[in-house]
Amino acid sequence: MMEIAPERAEPVDFLTTARDLLPEGASYEACIACGLCASGCPASGLYGMDPRRFIRMAMLGLNEELAGTPWVWTCTQCKRCAYICPMGIDVSVLVGIARGGWPRDKKPKGIMRSCEAQMRDDSTSAMGLRSADFIEIIAETVDEIREGDKRFKNLTAPIDKAGAEFVVNQNSREPAVEPEELGPLWKIFDYVGVSWSYTSKGWAAENFCMFTGDETSWKEMVKTRVEAINALGAKTWINTECGHSFYTMWKGIERFGLEADFEAGNLISFYAKWIREGRLPVNSDWNRDNLKFTVQDPCQLVRKSIGDPVADDLRFVARKLVGEGNFVDMQPCRSANYCCGGGGGFLQAGMNEQRRAYGKRKFDQIIATKAQYVLTPCHNCHSQMSDIGGYYGGKYHVVHFWTLICLSLGILGPNERKYLGPELACL
Amino acid sequence: MKRRQRRIKTKLAVIGAGLSGFSAAIFALKRGIKTTLLGHTGALAYTTGYLDLLGARRGRLLDDPWAGLAALREDEPEHPLARLGNDEIKDAFACFTAALRDMGIGYSMPGALNRMVLLPAGIRKPTLCVPDTMLAGMEAADRRAKTLILDFAGLAGFSAAEFKANFLTTWPAITVQKIQFPGMEHGQVFPEVMARALEVPSLYAELARRISPRLDGARYVGLPAILGMHAPDEVHAAMERLLGLPVFEIPTIPPAVPGIRLRELFERALPETGLELEPQLKVQRADLRPDGITLYLHGPMEDLEVESEAVILASGRFLSGGLKAGHETLSEPLLGLPLYQPGARKDWYRREYLDRRGHRINRAGVKTDTDLRPLGGDGAPVNTRLFAAGSLLAHQDWVRQRCGTGLAIATALRAVKSAQAILS
Amino acid sequence: MSAKSSAKSRLYETEVLIIGGGVTGAGVMRDLALRGIHCLLIDRCDLNAGASGGNHGLLHSGGRYASSDTRTAAECRHESELIKKLAPECVDDCGGMFVAVEGDDPDFAARFPGFCQAAGIICEALSPQEARAREPALSEKIIAAYAIPDAAIDPFRLVSQNVEHARRLTGSVFLPHMELEAFQIADGRISSALCRDRRSGAAVRIRARQIVNAAGAWAMNIARLARCEDVNLLYSKGTLIVSNTRLGRGVINRLRPPGDGDILVPGGTVSLLGTSSVTVEDPDRIRPGVDEVDRILAEGAAMLPGLEDARFIRAFCGVRPLIRASGAATDGRKAGRGFSLFDHEDQGLENFATIAGGKLTTFRAMAEKTGDLVARRLGNTSMCKTATTPLPSGDAVRMTEPGRAARDWYRRAEPDDLILCECEMVPQSAVDEIVGHAPGAEDHMSLQAIALRSRIGKGACQGAFCAHRVTSYLYDCGIYDSDNGMRLMRDFVAERYRGVRPVLWGRQLPQMELAEIMHCAMAGLDIAPDEAEQ
Ligand SMILES: Cc1cc2nc3c(=O)[nH]c(=O)nc-3n(C[C@H](O)[C@H](O)[C@H](O)COP(=O)(O)OP(=O)(O)OC[C@H]3O[C@@H](n4cnc5c(N)ncnc54)[C@H](O)[C@@H]3O)c2cc1C
Ligand SMILES: Cc1cc2nc3c(=O)[nH]c(=O)nc-3n(C[C@H](O)[C@H](O)[C@H](O)COP(=O)(O)OP(=O)(O)OC[C@H]3O[C@@H](n4cnc5c(N)ncnc54)[C@H](O)[C@@H]3O)c2cc1C
Ligand code: SF4
Ligand code: SF4
Repeated sequence: MMEIAPERAEPVDFLTTARDLLPEGASYEACIACGLCASGCPASGLYGMDPRRFIRMAMLGLNEELAGTPWVWTCTQCKRCAYICPMGIDVSVLVGIARGGWPRDKKPKGIMRSCEAQMRDDSTSAMGLRSADFIEIIAETVDEIREGDKRFKNLTAPIDKAGAEFVVNQNSREPAVEPEELGPLWKIFDYVGVSWSYTSKGWAAENFCMFTGDETSWKEMVKTRVEAINALGAKTWINTECGHSFYTMWKGIERFGLEADFEAGNLISFYAKWIREGRLPVNSDWNRDNLKFTVQDPCQLVRKSIGDPVADDLRFVARKLVGEGNFVDMQPCRSANYCCGGGGGFLQAGMNEQRRAYGKRKFDQIIATKAQYVLTPCHNCHSQMSDIGGYYGGKYHVVHFWTLICLSLGILGPNERKYLGPELACL
Repeated sequence: MKRRQRRIKTKLAVIGAGLSGFSAAIFALKRGIKTTLLGHTGALAYTTGYLDLLGARRGRLLDDPWAGLAALREDEPEHPLARLGNDEIKDAFACFTAALRDMGIGYSMPGALNRMVLLPAGIRKPTLCVPDTMLAGMEAADRRAKTLILDFAGLAGFSAAEFKANFLTTWPAITVQKIQFPGMEHGQVFPEVMARALEVPSLYAELARRISPRLDGARYVGLPAILGMHAPDEVHAAMERLLGLPVFEIPTIPPAVPGIRLRELFERALPETGLELEPQLKVQRADLRPDGITLYLHGPMEDLEVESEAVILASGRFLSGGLKAGHETLSEPLLGLPLYQPGARKDWYRREYLDRRGHRINRAGVKTDTDLRPLGGDGAPVNTRLFAAGSLLAHQDWVRQRCGTGLAIATALRAVKSAQAILS
Repeated sequence: MSAKSSAKSRLYETEVLIIGGGVTGAGVMRDLALRGIHCLLIDRCDLNAGASGGNHGLLHSGGRYASSDTRTAAECRHESELIKKLAPECVDDCGGMFVAVEGDDPDFAARFPGFCQAAGIICEALSPQEARAREPALSEKIIAAYAIPDAAIDPFRLVSQNVEHARRLTGSVFLPHMELEAFQIADGRISSALCRDRRSGAAVRIRARQIVNAAGAWAMNIARLARCEDVNLLYSKGTLIVSNTRLGRGVINRLRPPGDGDILVPGGTVSLLGTSSVTVEDPDRIRPGVDEVDRILAEGAAMLPGLEDARFIRAFCGVRPLIRASGAATDGRKAGRGFSLFDHEDQGLENFATIAGGKLTTFRAMAEKTGDLVARRLGNTSMCKTATTPLPSGDAVRMTEPGRAARDWYRRAEPDDLILCECEMVPQSAVDEIVGHAPGAEDHMSLQAIALRSRIGKGACQGAFCAHRVTSYLYDCGIYDSDNGMRLMRDFVAERYRGVRPVLWGRQLPQMELAEIMHCAMAGLDIAPDEAEQ
């Protein structure tokens, strides 16, 4: 069960290496072995490991074992351990070091392939969608929407529009496999009347290179995108509903000291702002059956980046959309939320058994809410929660915010309803 | 990219997410004070869930905490609890337990006497207020009733056999069983994970099915504290219904459920009653001025400034980072408050670990006036807007005196009242 | 051997009774067993309760004594080479270094290779750059450095393996908690040793043909009980501190005449810094002190500046029994490290011998000399075999190796084998193995006894968590079945504390705070009824 990765690229001394990566004053030496991290980590028990054990083994100098344990691919680097540890100890830093040390050909193929695809050209798309194709798909989809819905006959999805207020990075999944899902967000932009643009280079919103532990490619990804955004002179950069891309971008800018002339915005807070300003007049009238909704806080967006303020926005938007009484929180939630188990490249790592074991905790949490729907602004969370729902026999649906926003505004096209259950799809 | 900046303006800022900080928030919100709480995980996460007022003095357990307080006022007049009146302390407990109940975890009300609750090693200790999920255990022990104690395969550090062996003479009618938790039949299991799983009805039903055939005439069932994380009373009631018997929880050693339960309860429920909560960050720096106090925090992406009219420092002791120990001296790292120092390092700890007088270092801490304003080197308050509460206060030994919660919440109440008096 | 019990007293018979379960006693036991002789080894506490469990674990190449005592240096060189060859599992052959820093006597440094040569010790000069490349933790103020073949040795494992081998060879037995109280002497012979089982309080009589006193620092007391006045010891207390992680790759000695805080020795996953040397009157009730620890640390930091911020998890001390030649100096550091064998024949006894002084490193040579005498007295003509027979290892005796339990556990990947000590990752199976088969297992095993034979309680938490978990496990296994388990836990944590107390600052303090809460507020150990000790 516990294979050790054979030839190591080079031996790492985890404690010494980590010392240089930790913030001032932080130290693994402060660990009091209390186990709060292990008890709160859904990856505990996989491959016999858990975060406390990882730290203890680093203290014991078991570098070879740490370098070889496949557990590092099951830790989603969600940083819940750091959240719960009184000493603020962050295991994900050690995990990142371990991942980086795996020989390339031994790293999980799925994550490697995604990163390699991103490195192939300046689209930065993990699904291998070249920029020219992206542009073409966008144009085609825009045409379809204009034709299909009179209200959006002037809708645009600009590319490389200098001076746009927002630059939007687009997760590859929609253009690559479900272009009809591009529509709802564009409609929202159109409805609110924002000035926005995609970039033709570095347009994608995913970054698996960080998950491979390969710092050079992580930096490369971020750099391509930052340059493209800088070139347009936009004030704000946002992502489509995606967690990890947000984190890898701002963190990468900080870590590698890149010049970025823009602010990192996030879509959820803009939804909230537009609702508060009356520009997005959503309501919950459509939820006549009082369907219950819960929300999944993406670790990358909430705990690892903005913290509770964005969790508040998430809930504000959700409550407005589904009705106050129809919103149920998972417990724990917000900054303390559990990772779904899809993050950190886990979904791509090909370790389905472990990933689902990790996700069991999320599944139980969802079931305990008795909600029929889970809302989440993250692709990884979305896929993972759908998968574990199917695997463990949950009857809930997982939906994007943009779907419900458009549903509520009455602008959701008939082909934009694939994630809704039958009772909503027919509305 | 510019770091994000966020500014919060508030009336009262509480530093510390322990019992003291959270109870201060509860008391302040009740008084309609706009409150912001800043804090990180600390000692609270480890607690047993029992709310002690004063359980021991000079190495002896106390039946009557109120009489104990009277004695404390005589011979430890500087003890923070000795400086408060019984009414104020009772008020703090009553208000705090009522708030806990409102938020969703039932507790017994403070009474005239201590109650002898159960500890995992099979001993009892005096406390004032007890979670509803643990009440039946005392009754079973008092009645020496036939009781089934369960433990779980894979749960290290809790042994029903140990519990039984230590109660051998006083409570012989204990039977023990080791069972497997549904879905966690192999490997290490953590109480936290079991507790969360038990929020799912099909799981507690399955657990009850595994327990039922083992009852063998028992009148009570006791098990480690795993009955749910955010709705323990519901899970507890469901188990009692399914087993047809009183069921009780026994706290376990960390990492355990009761502390996490409380922390998550506060984090979930208090923001709904208006608390502005920053649960992840530590205050890095503070600027104390005569007209207000500004606190500075650094999040992963943003810098946060909290502008407040009054501040309660409830940052705990060494475990929580409220106090720090150097080679020679102890310090309060955030504001550099002068501390009561128990001599040089060789005097901090006594020669014998279990010396009944307790270690001198435990009495180190922040010195205050009766309004709980920290005092400067000159004996005058450091700032009229700054207050301190909880375990970081000097002249107490909550560990040996079994007064953790009492100290935390009663001083929090006093600090809130003092702060209220100066708020505009 | 036979053991008879009567209502009040027990009787044991054996060929040779050895008093003192340290490395010397264990070495003698194996030496004799290899000659086919049955022995009974007793200790008033347990194995390694004296200096053998409270030392630096340095397998001396001899470099340390090269400048002052060429004979001891040469003896160390010879013995350390043998041990490396015959008991490799007990040795971490990490190499060592002598370094001088600014302010140290350059002249002494320059003469060092000459001292080594005289004792036959290989000594290689290193440039300060080379030295720092080998040991990155070294100060930048190094002025001279030499590599020498020092190594680290695990004294716990060494002793256990000796005792275990003796058991296998002749069925020799170790009895813990057996204190020698008096001798019955008649006709120039000790006819019986009168002992007490310190746990049950029972009187025990032991009849043996020969008796060896290997009681280390207590050897003089034992000799006096036999009315022998020829053993004169000087007690030199040494204190050491243990870091949370391993701070150096090999042994690092300060290149100067021996002083405080001048050697850093790796102990597997940790490092040991020491030692002080203080002459004491009484070898009992010694404890590491805060002042000593500060002194050691300040000295050590001159060589290794990182020590200032390192986390230390405990301190401990031991008493060196040094042979006092009549009228010699009373400074422990200057007294010789040689050993002496007393046959006590001039004291009128023909079946009693005392072996005292020496080093852990020279234990085999000490045992050989003692074995020769005892065998001759018994009319046994076998030759000593310890210089050629490898010391066998075994599962139950290897749990003291730092990192071993963790590595084993990780490799075996047995999820149901729960880890009880998380700091050092010691699982249930290791406890089972010790309870079942470790030396002393014939006797009742307690938390203390298991901890002594493993890494339990030796990591960062120093018993805060593992004391609870192991105790629960022992109850689950039925090894504990009354409230006695809690009393044993209390003794255990009280003992651990003595070592932790002097290093309580910085990052060890939160650990201690949590430990006290768990032991007192959660387990009531501070209030549990006060039974009489023992
Ligand atoms: C194992 C254990 C068992 C216990 N059992 C009991 C029991 O049975 N009964 C009982 O009554 N009590 C018990 N207690 C004690 C109780 O839990 C209280 O925690 C304790 O009395 C201290 O409360 P406090 O709020 O003053 O401090 P803490 O709980 O220590 O809280 C201090 C908080 O301040 C935060 N902090 C520190 N510095 C900063 C900063 N710069 N910025 C922001 N935040 C900061 C810390 O992160 C922490 O959250 C137990 C405690 C432990 C550890
Ligand atoms: C601080 C320090 C550091 C050292 N470092 C090193 C080093 O790095 N390398 C090295 O080679 N050497 C070192 N030494 C020396 C080495 O530790 C000792 O020489 C060696 O351990 C002595 O072993 P022993 O068996 O003779 O004595 P001990 O280990 O002291 O054993 C004597 C035993 O006799 C028992 N006993 C006493 N009285 C009675 C009684 N009445 N009845 C029954 N049993 C009794 C005691 O309980 C004890 O277990 C060091 C010593 C000290 C003190
Ligand atoms: S929570 Fe922190 S202190 Fe506790 S074991 Fe984990 S890393 Fe160590
Ligand atoms: S980062 Fe998340 S998955 Fe990884 S060890 Fe920490 S809590 Fe577990």
